[in-house]
Amino acid sequence: MTDETGIALVVDDSRVNRLVLTRLLTELGLEVLEAENGVEALAQLRATPTAIDVVLLDVMMPELDGYATLEAMKADEAVRHIPVIMVSGVEELDSVVRCIELGATDYLTKPINARILAARINASLAAKRFHDLQAEYLEQQRQLTTTIERQKTELSRFLSPQIAQLISSREGEQLLAGHRRQITVAFCDLRGFTSFAEQADPEELFSVLGEYHRMMGEAIVEHGGTLEHFAGDGVMIFFNDPVPQDDHVERAVRMATTMRDRFRPMAERWRKRGYELGFGVGIAVGYATLGRIGFEGRHDYGAIGNVTILASRLSSQAGPNQILLSQRAVGMIEEMVEVEPVGELQIKGLSRPVSASNVLAVR
Amino acid sequence: MNDADLPVLDESVLDELGASVGGDRDFVVDLIEAYLADGGQQVAQVEAAVSGTDTDALVRPAHTLKSSSATVGASRLAAMARELEFAGREGRVDDAQPSHAAALRAEWEAASAALREWTSRSGA
Repeated sequence: MTDETGIALVVDDSRVNRLVLTRLLTELGLEVLEAENGVEALAQLRATPTAIDVVLLDVMMPELDGYATLEAMKADEAVRHIPVIMVSGVEELDSVVRCIELGATDYLTKPINARILAARINASLAAKRFHDLQAEYLEQQRQLTTTIERQKTELSRFLSPQIAQLISSREGEQLLAGHRRQITVAFCDLRGFTSFAEQADPEELFSVLGEYHRMMGEAIVEHGGTLEHFAGDGVMIFFNDPVPQDDHVERAVRMATTMRDRFRPMAERWRKRGYELGFGVGIAVGYATLGRIGFEGRHDYGAIGNVTILASRLSSQAGPNQILLSQRAVGMIEEMVEVEPVGELQIKGLSRPVSASNVLAVR
Repeated sequence: MNDADLPVLDESVLDELGASVGGDRDFVVDLIEAYLADGGQQVAQVEAAVSGTDTDALVRPAHTLKSSSATVGASRLAAMARELEFAGREGRVDDAQPSHAAALRAEWEAASAALREWTSRSGA
């Protein structure tokens, strides 16, 4: 018995030789199929490409000889991996070399020696088994990749795309564990939202909020912002993390003006329905600590630092359609924006007043 | 090697074959019967081929007869078939004459008789 079992295809035009090979292979524990020539062999192989584990192929046969059969097998994607042992007379050794060059795995000379046959069959079946395992492994890999891709797609519906990307990236764990970086934070919310929420029925509230969030979401994605969270009408977005962006201040300001432009017609429609809503933004730049915050079961990717507080406070100080920019942020993109100073603002939690400017236009 | 030195039937080949199939003599006997049935046709095809000029027609039956004769231990017949196969392959018409086919036929009869004798001796 061999260590391996499987199905062998014996291809020989001589009935006597087929009888002997079939019997010897059966002794080794294999199931045996027979073909009288290459044409029959190829038909059987193509009918059941996954069933046959090894082919014993006579060199000299009518219809289609061993060479042509071997060449046809090697040219066929479905069967090319099946090991082929050439069976030939001793005087045909030159042709055996040619067969090995054509891709035959091994050879046997006639008359067949049972022990050599056993050794060659074992080696070929082991190679076939290895190939099958590898193919199975690749298939599992492919399925795993498909699953991961699907999860990433799902994840990106819940998370900002940058964060979904970050989680599945190589340096993801390191960045999630916490790091410090200069970022621009934009905080947006609606003036008059609280009283609107009190008056409107739930369907109306969610319809307005849905429209607003959809517009915001599109603008965030267009400018490459990282959405930290939605909290009712409040939205916090930061730039330069996790994806580095040299122009993070400019991106934040352009996003904010885009939002303001798109908000106007929406506000107009709402006004006709009796709701007075205004849009305000606060933008600040500074260092923050970024990473995974929260607890097991509910984590967020968040930014912690004075910069987020400042942006949030500027946002609450902003009047309808104002985009308040911290002094430092103005300094970094002075030549690109047209601003009007709004003076010094007393910010809760900060000891000194902060000077800020409203963005009129971006050049 | 001179063909004359080879045995008509090398019984050790049959013994070895029997041993490699777990001493199943019935299998060996069945194999001999298949050989006797098919070999006669191949000898006839060789005879037909040498009377014509198509040496290619000689190669295939001579090749098959050579190979199956070696399997059952008909060593001398295997060697003669091999010579005819190569005469055919190399287009040596002088070595593939009816006299050669006749010698092959005689050897075939001798080998068949020896195999039948072995079969009856083996008690099948």
